[in-house]
Amino acid sequence: MRERFANSRSWGLRRGQPRANPLGRAPSRRGVSRSLCLWAIVFVVILGAWIGRVGARNTPPSEGRLEQTWGDRGLEDGRLQKPRAAAVDSHDRIHLVDMSARLQVFDRNGKLLRPPVRTPEFRYGKPTGLSIGPDDHLLVADTHYARVLVYSPEGELLPERTIGGTRGQGPGEFGLVTDAVVDSAGNVYVAERGDLDRIQKFSPQGEFLRQWGSHGDGPGQFRRPQNLAIDEQDRIWVVDACNHRIQVFDGEGELLQMWGSYGTDLGRLSYPYDLVVTDEAVYVCEFGNHRVQKFTHDGVSLGVWGEAGHGNDQLHNPWALVRDSRQRLYVIDTNHHRVHRVHF
Amino acid sequence: MFGYNLTFESPLWLLLLAVVPVLWWASLRSLAGLGRVRRVMALLLRSIVLLVLIAALADAQLVRTTDRLTVIYLVDQSDSIPVATREQMIEYVKRSWERHRDVQRGDRGAVVVFGRDADVEIGPIADDPPLYGSIETFVSGEFTNLEAAMKMAIALYPEDTAKRVVILTDGNENMGNARRQAARLAAAGVSIDVVPVFTEQQVDVAVEKVTIPADVRRGQPFELRVVLNNNAPPGSGPVTGTLQITRQGSGDAEVIAESRVELPPGKTAITPDVPERIDDPDFYTYEAIFRADQDGIDLQSRNNRAKTFTHVKGRGQVLLIEDADHPGEFGPLVDALKQENILVNVKSTRELFTSLAELQRYDSVVLANVPRVSENATESFTDEQIDMLVRNTQQMGAGLVMIGGPSAFGLGGWANTELEKAMPVDFRIANTKIALVGALCLIMHAGEMANGNYWQERIAKLSIETLGREDYCGLIHYDGGQKNRGNDWLWSRNGRGMLKVGGRRQMMLGRIGRMTPGDMPEFDPGLQMAAKEFAKLTEPAHKHMIIISDGDPTQASGAILRKLANAKVKITTVGVGTHGPADSRELTRIARATGGKYYNVKNAKALPRIYQREVRRLAKSLEFLEPKGLQPQIVSDHEIVRGIEAPPPITGFVLTQRKESPLVDVAMVSPKPADESNTTLLASWTYGLGRTVALTTDAGARWANSWTGWDDYQKQFSQIVRWSMRPIDESESMLVSTDVEDGKVKVVITAWDEDEQFANSLDLGGSVVDPELKERGLKIEQTAPGRYEGEFDADDAGGYFITINPGDGRGVIRKGVSVPYSSEYRERESNLSLLKELAERVPEGGAPGRYIEDTTGGGMESLLEVDVFRHDLPKARSNQGIWHLLLFVGSCVFFGDVFIRRVHVGFGWLTPLMVRARDFVLRREPTPQASETMARLRSRKAEVTDHIEQRKSTTRFEPAADEPVDLDTLSATETSTPRAEPQSPEKRSLTPEEQSEEEDYTSRLLKAKKDVWKGKTPPGQN
Repeated sequence: MRERFANSRSWGLRRGQPRANPLGRAPSRRGVSRSLCLWAIVFVVILGAWIGRVGARNTPPSEGRLEQTWGDRGLEDGRLQKPRAAAVDSHDRIHLVDMSARLQVFDRNGKLLRPPVRTPEFRYGKPTGLSIGPDDHLLVADTHYARVLVYSPEGELLPERTIGGTRGQGPGEFGLVTDAVVDSAGNVYVAERGDLDRIQKFSPQGEFLRQWGSHGDGPGQFRRPQNLAIDEQDRIWVVDACNHRIQVFDGEGELLQMWGSYGTDLGRLSYPYDLVVTDEAVYVCEFGNHRVQKFTHDGVSLGVWGEAGHGNDQLHNPWALVRDSRQRLYVIDTNHHRVHRVHF
Repeated sequence: MFGYNLTFESPLWLLLLAVVPVLWWASLRSLAGLGRVRRVMALLLRSIVLLVLIAALADAQLVRTTDRLTVIYLVDQSDSIPVATREQMIEYVKRSWERHRDVQRGDRGAVVVFGRDADVEIGPIADDPPLYGSIETFVSGEFTNLEAAMKMAIALYPEDTAKRVVILTDGNENMGNARRQAARLAAAGVSIDVVPVFTEQQVDVAVEKVTIPADVRRGQPFELRVVLNNNAPPGSGPVTGTLQITRQGSGDAEVIAESRVELPPGKTAITPDVPERIDDPDFYTYEAIFRADQDGIDLQSRNNRAKTFTHVKGRGQVLLIEDADHPGEFGPLVDALKQENILVNVKSTRELFTSLAELQRYDSVVLANVPRVSENATESFTDEQIDMLVRNTQQMGAGLVMIGGPSAFGLGGWANTELEKAMPVDFRIANTKIALVGALCLIMHAGEMANGNYWQERIAKLSIETLGREDYCGLIHYDGGQKNRGNDWLWSRNGRGMLKVGGRRQMMLGRIGRMTPGDMPEFDPGLQMAAKEFAKLTEPAHKHMIIISDGDPTQASGAILRKLANAKVKITTVGVGTHGPADSRELTRIARATGGKYYNVKNAKALPRIYQREVRRLAKSLEFLEPKGLQPQIVSDHEIVRGIEAPPPITGFVLTQRKESPLVDVAMVSPKPADESNTTLLASWTYGLGRTVALTTDAGARWANSWTGWDDYQKQFSQIVRWSMRPIDESESMLVSTDVEDGKVKVVITAWDEDEQFANSLDLGGSVVDPELKERGLKIEQTAPGRYEGEFDADDAGGYFITINPGDGRGVIRKGVSVPYSSEYRERESNLSLLKELAERVPEGGAPGRYIEDTTGGGMESLLEVDVFRHDLPKARSNQGIWHLLLFVGSCVFFGDVFIRRVHVGFGWLTPLMVRARDFVLRREPTPQASETMARLRSRKAEVTDHIEQRKSTTRFEPAADEPVDLDTLSATETSTPRAEPQSPEKRSLTPEEQSEEEDYTSRLLKAKKDVWKGKTPPGQN
């Protein structure tokens, strides 16, 4: 019997067979249980950490749905070369400006509607902000020329309505203009960065009314106010990009709300570059996190759409975000030279 | 099938198919135990595995055929075609592309423009041509290089299309060989269509050459002649104009003749009325310029001037170049040389030479404490100028002396240049104990800079190439990742972003090639990363950062700048294409806060110069200072130190690394540092035909102050300079003449010996430096008594410098020749024969190309009637290797083979399933199987019970009464019997039969034991 057992090949431990032990003793049953418990705990901890990490990254699942992607890289009419700002007019036409300083107008499906026009000067830099004013006039933040250009709905430059044009720190002077928006009364708010990070308010006639903000990370201060939005109550929403937060002001420059902090998790922000404010939610386009995040008005995250990558539904440093009348978002996927239409 | 075919690139491997029957034979035997079905299956799978492996070895290719066509237009942009005609050519390309491209089929078009080189204007696109009247790509129009365009085209073609080129040219090829390349295109299946471009013949005057005698002597009058050519259509009248002849010596150019001339069609030779005479020995350039009286009558103005060179020998001259920021620093040296009867011409770095011709009057060039880039980065030696200095020594035999100071050698940013190669010492030193280590961190933010990535790559590569092995280098770029707010180190190891260059140089260079920096929103995260990394580095003595940016990112915080300043990190900021004062201000602020400098660069091409200036800050460690004094020691009897007594002590010099070559002669060393390879004060060697000298201390302005009062000062420096100077051939035993004709330069040498007889059988060596400063070989052969000839191609316009080395230690003979203009400005008529020949080429498997000309007089419309997107070419085939796919399939099938052999899959469940399915479909009552099943179970149970009983009876222990039993065995058997699992009495109660059986067993065992004890006798009692 002993010979038979010794000759047979043994694979793994057999039931009842004592475990080889360097001390020459079989471990007690309690010891086995204890080590099993320890291993189980370690396993649970690792699993938990992994789930937590994955969960932090992915949960809650994206609620957005990609409807369409359009745009090709190029300098020909209808193509895009790093588009950085967008606006949607009342006819749901998408206005884009890219690194060739061309203002192009597309329909919802990416069809070019008319020949592009170039800003008058672009040698020192290209515009980085667009918005729609009263009567579908297009406001172009001509960033490096310290001014806001106004175009008619037909794409004609209206020089008499240009705001600014003088570089400086005084009232009505600008550094790098990032965006301009118009409230229901026709007042124009212009954001700028550079020497001064501030917002200036102008009357409908273009007279300087007031200004607020400075460079810094305190409440009411900015580090690169990259874009503005106006809500139904004429509150001014500012994406404070390098402070990774959103600030909300009333028309007099009183800070009403401030939320957001740097991070990659849900609810955090990394270089918010643009935003869309609706009655229900605030959509923020994150340049650093390569995504669009949906928040309540109080800054509670409701989900994200998009992730970093080079796939069809992935983003690479998106700069701008707009929304049409059918509540569809257009994400300007800058480094991919394209536009995603998303239901979110 | 489905548009795909299978081919094999290495079909010889298919011979292995012979192994398949062997496999079958072997497998049929070895798999005999598997049963028929499994055996066949296993055999089939094995065969597939083998076939797939053989196909992979034979490099199986999937071949796809398509109808698609790509047409590449090759558009001639050379100067022989007038601008208006070139615009028409573009118009033709646009219209023919739009009219004939088959959109449904997915045809593509592309445009390549060519002149001297070829470049892509539009890559292959399946779209309408984005052409707007003019060409955006710049190519030099000085030549027509059709071959380069054809090569470019063949490289551009996508694989899966038929191919055609449409050539628009006048056919005046003067570079490359279009016929040869056309043959290659045809062999590659590319069809060639040609649209000949006709140029109207027009009046064109060219100055063909300026000739002077080969043996111009000082003070002797000679005749200068200018040959002009009025290339006019038949019946044209003469062209009148002014011919001006200038002479340029070491001073300003002077007009020696100016006259009105009338040029009839054809060639005219004009000689000034007064013969020319040269009184001062020097290197002279004569230039003739023709200006027509009537504007617009002369087609080309670029061929209206020609030059020639001559050299009248005299006393040797030396060019001393000094730093424009420190004028007069080498005054004592210049005075000493002049007293030694050496002609010295002092020039500052603001008035540097611009051509090799300018250096020809000098027999030696002294770089006296001159940096490569001046302190304010406004003056610098270009790479071309450095090349000229080196070629002037290597090929033309001139001397080159570098004298030290805080702006020379490695301190002057000369490391890693051609000049370093020419010197007897290296400017970077290997000894880490001496050289202080530097650390350089680069932050890249290209922003809206034109060609930003290109320039950043170039700077980064320069930095890595220039830094020493022991220096640290790191590069931060914005890649939009999750770490460090999107910023990242381009290379890192063990969490460290700044690594020693050491053996990683190639890896770093490779990474830079793949860098695509994004648009950095702010500086702070990058600066914080750098500060953290600098804090870890204790070794580097110099810490430096360079930020290249358009100034766009958000302001850097004061705290991080203070942190960097406290860590003694200096930041140089370089604003490229900054958007005006506001952005410059931020970059200036960063630089000022850390004690660095800010450069505003209007043109990105200036970036390398700034970088070279900045990298000098890291090289500061090469300055070796000893205020107590270092006593130089003379360690050689080289002629540059012959007769020199011990020089006075010096207080410093620039550290260098002696080159490990037996040719290097070190004449003077310093007693420190300990490593003698770094102690060089004075070294020399021969470099090519010339000589170079390195003096690492200065000439009395700073470290060698005591030398100015030294008795041997004058002697020492004159010996250094004289040794380096080009030897002069005083014997006048050779006469070199040159002639330019049809793009070739003919060199004729006449040689005499000491007895004024023709010298024969000389072994003459020759070399030529072309206008691009490249060396060309010159083979010289004897053609008659005392006459030697050589010839070389002179395609490029510009100066060619010929050096003849007579051997026997005699001085080299130099000659300059100027090619006034390329043949591009000489050709007038279209070369139709070449164009027709190209169009007649038959591509493999297709029809010959078309020669598209306007035969009906309909102009462009007539040309557009020919469909250049026509399909008379064989379908395109694209191959795709599938060996990797086959290997994958093979491994999957192999798994199937193992599965079939090792796992028996029963099909017993199939029949009941089918029966049930049948019952279900036919709505039958299921056949009562239960009783039958139960009966089967009972019968099986009975069988098993019988079997157990039999085993029990056979294994029951019933020893015979007389059989001896070994107790040891018995007890061992008891202990080795596997212990039964403990069972609780509640769960396990014995039946009466079992009890009795167990009792029987125990009692039998006890009985047997007793019997054994009874019968056992003590040992020794037997």
